[in-house]
Amino acid sequence: MNSTLLETKNLTYVYSKGTSSQVHAIRDICLKIEKSELVGVIGHTGSGKSTLIQHLNGLLKGTSGTVLLDGKDIWEKKSDIRKVRFRVGVCFQYPEYQLFEDTVYKDIAFGPTNMGLDRDEIDRRIREVIYYVGLDESYLEKSPFDLSGGEKRRVAIAGVMAMQPEILILDEPCAGLDPKGRETILSMIKDYREKTGSTVLFVSHSMEDISKIATKVLVMNESRLAYYDTVDEVFRHADELRNMGLNIPRLTKLFLMLREKGYDVNTNVYTLEKAKQELLALLSKGGTDK
Amino acid sequence: MISDITIGQYYKGNSFIHKLDARAKILLTVLFIAMIFMCKNFLSLGLTFVFVVLSVLLSAVPVKMYLKSLKPIIPIVIFTAVLNMLYTGGETVLYSFWKITLTAEGLTTAAFFAARIVLIIISSSILTYTTVPTMLTDAIEKLLSPLKVFKIPVHSLAMMMTLALRFIPTLIEEIGKITNAQKARGADFESGKLLQRIKAIIPIIIPLVVSSFRRAAELADAMNCRCYTGGNTRTRMKQMKFCFKDFVSLLVFCIGIAGVVLLNIKFGAVI
Ligand SMILES: Nc1ncnc2c1ncn2[C@@H]1O[C@H](COP(=O)(O)OP(=O)(O)OP(=O)(O)O)[C@@H](O)[C@H]1O
Ligand SMILES: [Mg+2]
Repeated sequence: MNSTLLETKNLTYVYSKGTSSQVHAIRDICLKIEKSELVGVIGHTGSGKSTLIQHLNGLLKGTSGTVLLDGKDIWEKKSDIRKVRFRVGVCFQYPEYQLFEDTVYKDIAFGPTNMGLDRDEIDRRIREVIYYVGLDESYLEKSPFDLSGGEKRRVAIAGVMAMQPEILILDEPCAGLDPKGRETILSMIKDYREKTGSTVLFVSHSMEDISKIATKVLVMNESRLAYYDTVDEVFRHADELRNMGLNIPRLTKLFLMLREKGYDVNTNVYTLEKAKQELLALLSKGGTDK
Repeated sequence: MISDITIGQYYKGNSFIHKLDARAKILLTVLFIAMIFMCKNFLSLGLTFVFVVLSVLLSAVPVKMYLKSLKPIIPIVIFTAVLNMLYTGGETVLYSFWKITLTAEGLTTAAFFAARIVLIIISSSILTYTTVPTMLTDAIEKLLSPLKVFKIPVHSLAMMMTLALRFIPTLIEEIGKITNAQKARGADFESGKLLQRIKAIIPIIIPLVVSSFRRAAELADAMNCRCYTGGNTRTRMKQMKFCFKDFVSLLVFCIGIAGVVLLNIKFGAVI
C-alpha cells in the first residue's frame, strides 16, 4: 500500500573531519519514510536532527551512506541536486531570518521563480499558500520586515510550501512561539498535509505537539536513530524515552498510570478530547473493574 | 569557501607559544616581520626561515592549518612573483623571447617577494592560532595605552576590535545558515554569468545585514543592562604577566635580527 518515498542507508556524517574539533553528528542512520506520512522528529539538543534533515535535500553529503529519493540516489548526478531540493522542501529553524525581499509576495515567489515556473502559476501558488499558513491576501503587499515574529515565520514556511515539494520538512517550526502560535502552526501543518497529500516531517521538542498530529515518530538519540514507528508504539517505551531525556505527554502518562493501577483504559490518549471519552467510558462501566 | 578563512581563528593548545604573554607575542610578530624585510641575501633569508620553522613547531599547531591559511593567498603570491620576474631590470639575461626577458635579478626578486609574503602570513598565523582574540585585543590596548596621553580612546577602540573579532565566527555561521536556507529554496550560487552570480548574493546579504543590526542593538542593550560604561575604571579578570620566558623569547628574536644584519653585511646584498 504505502510506498517508500525517501530512504537513507547507513547515513553517517562527521563535522570538521580530521581536525581537533571533529563531531560525529549522525551515525549509521537507516530510515524509510513512506508516502503521505506525517512524521514528528524528536531528540535531545545536539542529537543530530538538523544534521539529518540537511542530508535529505542534499545540503550536506554524507561522509558515508546514501539518501534515496524514489529509489534513486540523490547524488547520482551532482547537477540535479537543485531538482532534489524542489522535491524535498526544507524550512530551517528560525526561518524568519531568511526573508529578504521588500514584499511578502516577492519573497514567497523566490522558490517558485528559481524553479522556472511561469508568472501565472507562481501567482496562483502564492495566493494558495498564503491561506495554508493562516494569513490572507492583504499580507502579500506588506514588507516582511514589518510583520510580527510569528507572521514572519509563517511567510517563510509559505515560501517553501509554494514550491509544492513532495516532502515538506520543517525544523522546529514552533520554536519560540507562544501556545497559541504553536497551535496555529500545528493545525496549519495538519491541514496542509490533508489538503495536498504530501509527506511532512517536522522537528519538535514537545511530545505533546507531536502526539497531537503526527502519524509516526522519529526519535534521535546521541546521533543515532532510536525509534521510527507509530506514535502508540514509540510511547510504549516510556522508560527508555525518559533515559534519553525525553518525556511522553502528561495525559498519556496519566493513562499509563491508571492502566498500571488495573483500570481498563486505552493508553493511546494524546488529546483532551480523547481523554474525556476514555474517562467517560470508564465511568459508565462503573469505573472500578479492578 | 567561506570556511577556508582561518586567519583570526584560535587553535586550542597548550604549547610554549600558547603560554607566552599576548603582548610579547605581538612584539615578537612585529620583530618577525622586521626580520623578514631586513633579509638582503639568501643566507639571512635562510636564517629567518629557520626561525619560522622553529616557531611553527613550537606552536604545536598542525602544519596543515598553516597550509590552509596560505591557500587563499597563493594567487597573490604567484601574481607578484610573475610581475617581479618580468619587470625587474638586470644584466644577466637568462632567456629572452619576443618582449619578455628573464633575468637572474628578476628571478631573485621574485623569489624574495614570494618568500616574504608566505613568511609574513605564516608568522601572523602563529600569532592568531595561539592567542585567544580577546587576549589579543587586550594586549593591543595595553601596548597602545601610551597613546591615551594624546586623548585617543584606546579602550573604546580595543573594545570595538574585540567585538568585531568576537562576531567573525558568528557571522560566518550565520552566512552558512542563510545560504543553506536560500539553497533549500533553489537559489543557485554556482552557475551563471558574473552578473547573475552577484545578483545571487543579494538573498544572503540582506538577511545578513538585517540580523547584524538586530544583533548589534541586542548587544548594546545587554551591555547597558550590565552597566558597561567603558573607560579607565575597568579592571581585568585575566591579568597579563610578562615572565621570564617572554623576555627570553624577545631576546632570542633580537639576536636573530642581529644575525640577519650580520649576514647581510658579511655576504652582501642580492636584492
Ligand atoms: N556546523 C557545524 N560544525 C560543527 N559541528 C556541528 C555543526 N552543526 C552541528 N554540529 C554538531 O553536530 C551535533 C548535532 O547537531 P544538530 O544541529 O544536528 O543537533 P539538533 O538535534 O538539531 O539539536 P537542536 O535540538 O539543538 O537543534 C551537535 O553536537 C553539534 O554540536
Ligand atoms: Mg536543530
